[in-house]
Amino acid sequence: MANDDREKLSVSRRAFLKGGALATGALSSTLIPLGPAEGADRAPEATDLDPRRSKIELKVNGVAYRVDVPNTTTLATLLREELHLTGTKVGCDRMQCGACTVHVNGRSVYSCTVPAVDAAGTEVLTIEGLAKGDTLHPIQQAFVEHSGFQCGFCTSGQIMSTKALLDRNPQPTEDEARQALSGNLCRCSAYKKILESVMTASRLSRA
Amino acid sequence: MGQQANRSGGSLKVLGKRLPNLDAVERVTGRAKYVGDIDIPGMLVGRALRSAQTHARIVSIDTSKAEALPGVKAVVTYKDAPKVALWGHRGYVLNDRVRFRGEAVAGVAAVDAETAEKALKLIAIQYEVLPFVIDPEEAMKATASKLFEDGNQEGQARILTRGDVAKGFTESDKVIERMYHCPTMWSGSLEPRCAIAQWDGDRLTLWASTQAPGRNQDNLCALFNLPDANVRVIASYVGSGFGTKSANHMDEGLTALLARKARRPVKLQYSREEEILDSNTRFETKFYAKVGVKKDMSLHSLDVRCITNLGAYHTRLGGLGNHCTHVYRIPNVRTEQYRVHTNIPNTGPTRGVGDPQECFGLESLIDEIATEMGWEPLEFRLKNIKRTGDPIARGGAGTEDGRLVTQVLDKCLEEGAARIQWSRRNATPGAGQTGPKMRGIGVAATERGGGGGQGGTTIKVFKDGSVVLFFASTDIGTGTRTTLPMIAAETMGVPVSSVRAVSGDTELAPYEGGSFGNRTLQGTGRAVEAASRECLRQILAAAGPMLNNAAPADLEMQDGVIRVKGQPDRNVALSAVMVRRGNIVATSITNQPQTGMDVERTSGAHFAEVEVDRETGKVQVLKYIAAHDLGRPMNLTIVENQLEGGTIQGLALTQGEEMRFDPRTGACLNANFLDLKPPTALDFDPRMLEAIVVENESILGPYGAKGLGENPTHPGMAAIANAIFNAAGIRLREVPFTRADILKALSEQQTTPGRTA
Repeated sequence: MANDDREKLSVSRRAFLKGGALATGALSSTLIPLGPAEGADRAPEATDLDPRRSKIELKVNGVAYRVDVPNTTTLATLLREELHLTGTKVGCDRMQCGACTVHVNGRSVYSCTVPAVDAAGTEVLTIEGLAKGDTLHPIQQAFVEHSGFQCGFCTSGQIMSTKALLDRNPQPTEDEARQALSGNLCRCSAYKKILESVMTASRLSRA
Repeated sequence: MGQQANRSGGSLKVLGKRLPNLDAVERVTGRAKYVGDIDIPGMLVGRALRSAQTHARIVSIDTSKAEALPGVKAVVTYKDAPKVALWGHRGYVLNDRVRFRGEAVAGVAAVDAETAEKALKLIAIQYEVLPFVIDPEEAMKATASKLFEDGNQEGQARILTRGDVAKGFTESDKVIERMYHCPTMWSGSLEPRCAIAQWDGDRLTLWASTQAPGRNQDNLCALFNLPDANVRVIASYVGSGFGTKSANHMDEGLTALLARKARRPVKLQYSREEEILDSNTRFETKFYAKVGVKKDMSLHSLDVRCITNLGAYHTRLGGLGNHCTHVYRIPNVRTEQYRVHTNIPNTGPTRGVGDPQECFGLESLIDEIATEMGWEPLEFRLKNIKRTGDPIARGGAGTEDGRLVTQVLDKCLEEGAARIQWSRRNATPGAGQTGPKMRGIGVAATERGGGGGQGGTTIKVFKDGSVVLFFASTDIGTGTRTTLPMIAAETMGVPVSSVRAVSGDTELAPYEGGSFGNRTLQGTGRAVEAASRECLRQILAAAGPMLNNAAPADLEMQDGVIRVKGQPDRNVALSAVMVRRGNIVATSITNQPQTGMDVERTSGAHFAEVEVDRETGKVQVLKYIAAHDLGRPMNLTIVENQLEGGTIQGLALTQGEEMRFDPRTGACLNANFLDLKPPTALDFDPRMLEAIVVENESILGPYGAKGLGENPTHPGMAAIANAIFNAAGIRLREVPFTRADILKALSEQQTTPGRTA
C-alpha cells in the first residue's frame, strides 16, 4: 500500500517467495549478539539437521528470545502462538488489512507476511511493548481519550502504524496521518475518531 | 418506576457525558482477548474443507487417508452432522450436497495447522454436478435448477396492502416506474469467524466470535440434544459483527462436532477468504417500484415488488424493512416480497438488514418523482413525512392502527439541511456546470425501530462496593460494555469507574438472544436500570441502621456515599455498608413496555455534497451530514463513533464491496480486501463527515435512550445517488456507482437531447 516501509517489506517478501537466501538486508542491520554467531563454523545442533526448521534469535519488546520455528512460520504466528503476544491480530494474512502491523528494527511491517526467519537478529516492537508498566504510551492515551476504535480488532495495528508515523514525522498534518494509516483497515470505520486520536497522540508525544 | 424523574434529565450525573470506553485500556494495549487469542492446553487446530463445486450432490466421500495421517484427531462429514437444521437456515452443519462454491463439506481437527491442511487434501469426494443458478429472477422460473425439493422460493410471497394501489394510480396526476438494484455485498468483520469448543462429558463450552451467544446456545442444544444448562457460550471481546454474527452459522456446530469426536478442545478460525465466502453477507435486492402523486404535492400510491437473493441456505430475514410504510403518509401502499435461494454464499441480516437497500430504492424514487414534477425534493419530503401523532401500523400488517410518537424526522431534515446549506444545491440538477467538476447536494431520509424487546441482567455489588454487571448480549464495538455500566452507575449513584461489565456469557447472565437490530441499549438497558434500582433499594435498606435508623425513603446515594437527604453530614460510605451486608445480587428480566396505541421509531436524514469529475467519473464526497434521532444520548463519544462509522459503512456500499460472481462457474471473483475495496482512511475523508444528534427522548428506553446502531448505514446509497443527480443530472439506479457507470451515464446524457434534468 502507500506506506514506504511496506513497499520495502514487499521486496523482502518477493525475495522470500523466490526461495532465495533470507532477504534480511533491510532488516538485519542491528544483529543482537546473544548466542553464538550464525555461521558454518557453529557445531550443528539436533534441530539444525531439519532443513525445514530454523533456530533464530530475536528481541521482542526488549526481551531476548531463542526459538526453533518451521521456515514457513510468519512473524505474526511466531508472536501469537510461540511467544503468546496475541495483541497482534491477523485479519487477512496477506498484507491487505494492517491488523498485524508491528515494528522490525523501527520500521512498521505487516507481520503476517514476514517470515519469522527474516526477523532473526532483529528487534521487534509489538503493541504489548508500548506501555511502561501501567503507564500508557501517549499514543495509547490518545486512542483511549478519543475512543479511536470500536471493536478494537484493528487497534493494535492502527497504533503501531501511528507510532511509525510519529517516529519519522512527529508533527504530521491530518492528510499525512490519513496517508500513513491508509494501510490499516478499520471495518467499523471509526476513521474520524482514529484521526482525532493520531493528532492528539502527536501533541501528547511532543509534550 | 422513576421513569418520569429520569426523563427530566437535568440532574443526570453520568449519562449524556463523554466518557472513554471502560474497556479502552484493554483494547489499546492488546490485552483484550478475542476468541482467536485464547489458548487451551491440548487444543487442536480445526480446518474446513471447502468445495470447488457450485451446485453438486456428494456421491461418495472417503476420509480414510485423512484419518490415517499422523496427528489427525478427527474428521467429520455430513454423515457425522446432526440432522437438525441450523436456526434460521435450511442447512445442517454439513450437508450431502453443495449449494454454493466454498461451502464446507468436511472438517478436520489435527495437532497443528500444517497437519490439518494436509489432511484436507487427502479427503476424496465424488460429486454429481448439478446445474446452478445465481440470479434470483432466474431462480424463480419453473425451469431453474432447484436447490431444495420444494423449489427455490423461501416461503410464500410476503404481501402487505394498505388502501388500493390500482385505484390510487388512476387517481394520481403522475405515475412513474423504476427499478433499483443492490448486488450481494460483503458485510463481514475484520476479525474472521472463530470458535473454540470444549466438551466436559456432555457439557459443552463454546467460545465464539458472535453477537448472539443466546441464539448459539439454543442452536447447539438443538444440534446435540442437550439441556440448556449443559451448553455455555462465551463471547467476551468480539471483533465486530454488523449482523453477520447475529444468526447461527455452521462453524459453531462444526467446531463442537470436531471437539466431540476428537475428545479434545478444538479451535476453528476462518481465513479471510473463508470469512468472505462463508459468513452471512448483505443480500441482493431487485426493487421494482411504481409511485403516483397528486398535483397538490401529496404522495398517493406506492407499489413495490422486491426480489431478494437469499443465497444458499439463509431463511429468516431478507427483504424490506419498513421504509415504504413508515416514512411517508401514503394512503395506498402495496409491497410484495419474494425471497429466493440461489447458488451463491449465504446472506443474512447485516447492518440495517434490508433497510439500506429499501432506503436506496424509496429515497431515489421520491427524488425522481419530485424531479418529474419540478418539486423541490426537501420540500416534497417535508410535506409528506410522517410526524408525531400520525397514524402508523403497530404490527406487520398494513392497517395503520397505532399513533406515531417521539418522531423527529422533520427536525432531522431541517437541522441537516441547515448544516449543509441546502439552498446551495443546483435548482436545476446538472445545469450550468460547465467545468470538468460538477457539484451537487442530495438528501435521503430513513427510519427503523429503536430496539428493545426482552432484556436481562444480573448485577452483583461486592463487599467493597465495587459492582459487576453481567449480561449475555455482547459489545461488538457498539460500546455497551460502557453505556450499560453508565446506566447502572447513574441509577445506583456509584462512580462509573467502580462498575465493570462481563458481557456475552450465557451461564452467568439471564438469557438474551444477543446484540442486533438496535436492541441492546433499550432491551438490556431497561433490565440494567431495574436491577440497579433493586440493588440501590437493598443498599439503602442496609444503610438505614447505620444512620440512626433513617428510613430508606429519606436516603440517597451519590458517588458511592449514602446520605440522609438534606443532611449531607449524616452519611456512610457504600463500602462500609457492604462490609456489613456481605454482598448484594439483583437480577432483572424485562419485557418491552406496553405502550397501547403509541408506536415509537428512530429516524434520521443524511445530506451529501458531492463533486463528480466529468473526465474521470470519480465521485468525491465533499461534505456529509448525518442527522439522527437516538433519543437521549448516553455517551456522546460512543454515539458519534457509531454514527460516523455506520455512515461510512453506508457510503462504502456506493463505491465497492459488491461480491462479484462468475456467471460461467458461480465462483466469487473478489474474495479478498484488495478487490472488495472496503474503505480506508483515504476513501472518505472523515473530516467531511459530521454527525448531528437531534434532541429527543424515548418513551421506551432507559433514561430516554433509543438504539441507533443500524440506522446510520441506511441512507448513504440514496443520499449519494441523489447528490450525483443534482450535480450531473444522471440517475444511477444500481450500486455500486463505479466510475465506468458514471462515465457511461454522462455520455448517454450527452446523446439524449431534451432529457429532463
